[in-house]
Amino acid sequence: MAPRPDLTNVPDADVVALAQRGREDAFREIVRRYERPVFSLIYRMVRDSATSEDLAQDTFIKVLNHIDKYRPEFKLSSWLFKIANNVAIDHLRRKQLDTISVSGSPNAATESEIEATSFEIADGAESALDAMEARELGGSIEKAIAKLRPEYRACIMLRHVEDRSYEEIAATLDLPLGTVKTYIHRARIELRGYLEHLRE
Amino acid sequence: MQHRHLLPNELDLLVDDEAGFGMAPLRAHVESCAECADQLAAAQRVAGGLDRLTRFAPSPGFANRVMAQVQVIEPWHVALTETAKGLVPRNRTLRVVMATTAALLATGISGAAVWLSLRTDVALYLGSSIAERARVVVGDGATSLARTLLGEGASTLLGSGPGVLIAGTVGLLLSGAATAVALRSLATASRRTRE
Ligand SMILES: [Zn+2]
Repeated sequence: MAPRPDLTNVPDADVVALAQRGREDAFREIVRRYERPVFSLIYRMVRDSATSEDLAQDTFIKVLNHIDKYRPEFKLSSWLFKIANNVAIDHLRRKQLDTISVSGSPNAATESEIEATSFEIADGAESALDAMEARELGGSIEKAIAKLRPEYRACIMLRHVEDRSYEEIAATLDLPLGTVKTYIHRARIELRGYLEHLRE
Repeated sequence: MQHRHLLPNELDLLVDDEAGFGMAPLRAHVESCAECADQLAAAQRVAGGLDRLTRFAPSPGFANRVMAQVQVIEPWHVALTETAKGLVPRNRTLRVVMATTAALLATGISGAAVWLSLRTDVALYLGSSIAERARVVVGDGATSLARTLLGEGASTLLGSGPGVLIAGTVGLLLSGAATAVALRSLATASRRTRE
């Protein structure tokens, strides 16, 4: 049999088509592309690394075992985020685990590691002071996000981490566009409140 | 410029850096109003901090753990296509021979079908009187026999005239011959590929 080509630069839709034809390397490519975005979204919602990993695993298993049901008019990433959000919300409802965690990175142990891993210093930070301020803000933001309602968190993550438009977020989370705008607006106001409180 | 402070949703529009008509007056107001400029700076600080949040990675081996629970299924039509591809000879001449045989078969069958439909009309016209007499003599016996052996459907078919009988017989012969030719060419082709 001819050697299989590298799928790294193949568009999502084509990778899905290959997966639908039973190509295992296409399944693996989907996981490789989206393990970080899916895990991060879930982690920021449930704030526990072991649970997040289980839920991320559930998300991929659900999507990949139903890859034949994929509708090409929907972005693959949006479908994954939709399932990831549902899985996380279900878990939170089940466990009522909506508590505040202060950890930054799921694998960080000490306070300094948390600070270091929870925030990447912005490129072009003009001075050491800027860098330190940016890092502090990042750590504080992680803590502040944990205080938001889960619905707000999902919207904020999709908007700011995954760079999605309001319309895409609405389609992904099955929410009216106006609701998405309201959630993001309220989340930002709440975050400002938490951050100002932390500064005092 | 406008003479009131910006509403929260207007600040959002500026934070999201929306383009379009109506944005210019908002920007103009912010430039001349320290209070709104402060509000906007605070909102932008939060949005900027959110934009710089990074993604986390699951622990190593995540993909393998997922794949251990995923069923990779090759759909039947894909499997069939792959098998068919395997049967097509690599040799170019052989492929041409196979394609030509297939084309000839298709043309032959289509031609036979056309001929048959014309022929049936003629047979119907000429043989109507003979058939009528035959039906009287044999028909009743055959119909009742067919009804006994094969049920109501077969007797209806028999009763519908000699056209159906002729078409059925010729059709059977033709498809039998076509299958034989196709099988033969396939066998020859695969034997030659192996050599
Ligand atoms: Zn103002």
